[in-house]
Amino acid sequence: MRVRVKLFATLGMYAPGGESAKPFVMEVDQGTRLNALLDKLDIPEESVRVKFVNGRARKWDYVLEPDDEVGLFPPIGGG
Amino acid sequence: MISDFSQSELLRYSKQILLPQVGIDGQRKLKQASVLIIGVGGLGSPISLYLAAAGIGRIGIVDPDRVSLSNLQRQVLYSFNTVGEMKVEAAKQRLTGLNSCCQIDIFPVAFTSENAKEIAEGFDILVDGTDNLTTRYLINDLCVRTARPFVFGAIQGFDGQMALFDSRIGPCYRCVFGSPPPSDHIPLPADSGVFGVLAGLVGLLQAAEILKIILGIGETLGGKLVLINSLTAEFDHIEVLKDPSCPVCGENSEIKART
Repeated sequence: MRVRVKLFATLGMYAPGGESAKPFVMEVDQGTRLNALLDKLDIPEESVRVKFVNGRARKWDYVLEPDDEVGLFPPIGGG
Repeated sequence: MISDFSQSELLRYSKQILLPQVGIDGQRKLKQASVLIIGVGGLGSPISLYLAAAGIGRIGIVDPDRVSLSNLQRQVLYSFNTVGEMKVEAAKQRLTGLNSCCQIDIFPVAFTSENAKEIAEGFDILVDGTDNLTTRYLINDLCVRTARPFVFGAIQGFDGQMALFDSRIGPCYRCVFGSPPPSDHIPLPADSGVFGVLAGLVGLLQAAEILKIILGIGETLGGKLVLINSLTAEFDHIEVLKDPSCPVCGENSEIKART
C-alpha cells in the first residue's frame, strides 16, 4: 500500500534523492507501524520529536493505513 | 468609562479601539495584563515590540546576554549603536521609547530553576523566546504548576514551530515533545543558521496568540501545534492531545507532586 511522507526541517536530508522538504510517496506493507517507516528511511528514532498522521500527533506503534499522510519533525532549539 | 486612559493613550490606540472585538474594554484588558518574555533574541524582539505597541501594561524581559553584531540580522529590537550593551537594558530603552505607558521590568539573568518562580511571580502569561530546550522545559513545568498559559515558539534554519500550551484546557509541552532529547540530537543555534524573517513570522504568531488570550477573542491554538516553513510559506496545523501519563500534567504527575 502507499503512504505519503513529509520530512520537516533537517530531516529532509533523509528524503529519497537527498535534501527535500517536499512530500513523497512510499510503498509499505499492510500492518506497517510508524516506527518501521524510520528503518526504511534510515532515520534514527531520537532524531524525530513530533510525528503525525493525517494532521494528528501519533505514537510510534500507530499502524499505517493506505493513503495515510505522515509527517516527521526533528527537535529544534533556536529562538 | 474611559477616564483610566489619557487623551494621548486614546489617540495612540485609536485604530485598535475601533475594532469591535477590542473596544475600550479590550484596551483596558491589555493595560491590566502582564506578560513575561523569557529571552529577547530573534523571537523576543518582535513579540516585545508588538506587545508594547498594543499597550500591554507590564512586560517583563529576561535575558543574560549582551547584544552582538551577529544578532542584528534577526533581532530587530537592537541597533548597531547598542552592540555590547546588555540586551534587557537596550530592549527597555527601545520599548519605552516606543510606548512609555508600558512598564518594562528587566531581569539581566539566565532563567533557571533557582530563580524562575520568583521572576515569574505576578505575570499572567509566560512566553518562550529562548534558544534552548532546557529553559523551555523549565517554563512549561512552571506554567503547569501555576496554571498559566505558555506561548511556545522555536526556530531553526527555515522552519519554525509555535503553540499555546495550557494544561488546564489541553496538552502541555511535555505531552507533545516528551522528555528532553539527548543533547547530541539538538542542533544548537550557534551551530546552525536561521532565516532572519522566520523569527518575525513565528514571533508575531506568538504575539497574536497572547493578545487573543488577553482579549478573549478568536480561536486560540490550544491543542494545536503550528509548523511553519518559510521557504514554501506552508503552515501545517497538527492536532495534539493531552498525554494521561505525562510526568508534569498527567494524572499521576511526579513533577507536579514534588512542588
